[in-house]
Amino acid sequence: MIPSDHFVRFYNEVFKFLDAKNALPKYYQEISRHQELHCYKLFMEKGLKGMEEYWAHIRLEENCDTASCIKDGVRYSLTNRCPSLSKVLDNDAAPCEKYCLHCPGWVMPLMTKCGFYYVSYIVAKDVPKCRSFETESLEKADQIVADLLAQGADRALIFSNIEDSKTVEANKEKRRELRKEK
Amino acid sequence: MLRYQEDNELHRDFHGTTNTTLNYLADNFGVDALKGILRTTGREVYKSIREKLAAGNASELLEHLNWFYFREGAKYQLTVQPDEIRLEVFECPAIRHLKKLGLEPSRHFCLQTSEVNLGICEGTPWQTETTILGDGHCLQIFRRNGGKK
Repeated sequence: MIPSDHFVRFYNEVFKFLDAKNALPKYYQEISRHQELHCYKLFMEKGLKGMEEYWAHIRLEENCDTASCIKDGVRYSLTNRCPSLSKVLDNDAAPCEKYCLHCPGWVMPLMTKCGFYYVSYIVAKDVPKCRSFETESLEKADQIVADLLAQGADRALIFSNIEDSKTVEANKEKRRELRKEK
Repeated sequence: MLRYQEDNELHRDFHGTTNTTLNYLADNFGVDALKGILRTTGREVYKSIREKLAAGNASELLEHLNWFYFREGAKYQLTVQPDEIRLEVFECPAIRHLKKLGLEPSRHFCLQTSEVNLGICEGTPWQTETTILGDGHCLQIFRRNGGKK
């Protein structure tokens, strides 16, 4: 058994293997599908509050130093110390340079499927800090990206599904219809 | 002394992600590639245990097995002799958690034990073998070369 405490160090080895084969994006899709088990119903039924609920549980179990809140239709999450990257850096095996990309890699497809815009800013790939934002509003998502850039964020470290807005909007409508039916 | 000694909250859902990952790697890259990644994990991540074994010191391996199986709430028995360590896991906590999540354990699931253990022993005087005795029930043996079988 790989202890759940050490999963991320195994994950890191998986990323190195897949990255050497340029095969990370397809794997992220698979993890995203797996995560639907934990998140899909919650996000579809409770929206941003469901996300707060899911990540509150993660914050506790994964020992994250993260602050989050929902304000004016946006969920803000500021991670001051990511336990996942911290463990990968505290490791006798070398870290995968793209380690942090797994987070937007699995979260973004899920958010698109649930009809939410998602913006993630990885402050640096070797620093366990990041910020992420979820909202139903394309305008607000655009503004978040503009604000990050105005604050000096590196464009290459900002990930979002804004470009996929047509799909997000269609799925947002589906979610609203499902909620009406209930 | 353990190189990694987490003692805070546990996120057992990682066993589910491991399960998905084992299937994904085996299906897309083959079982040998999967074994290679697990072996590398054992060799590199647990370098500290491996180096101690190479120097004739099994203390960190013992601590590792005891601490993490205890921490995950396993039912197990650890039997230690100078040249042999036997860990019998009666109810694997990872498989137990998969069942709780409603996931079917991958047919490759136990490779994470056998191959990581092989990686830990690589280049040391220790050999290891894992025998699956039943559902969630295994016997892991570490034996020093020259030790009695």
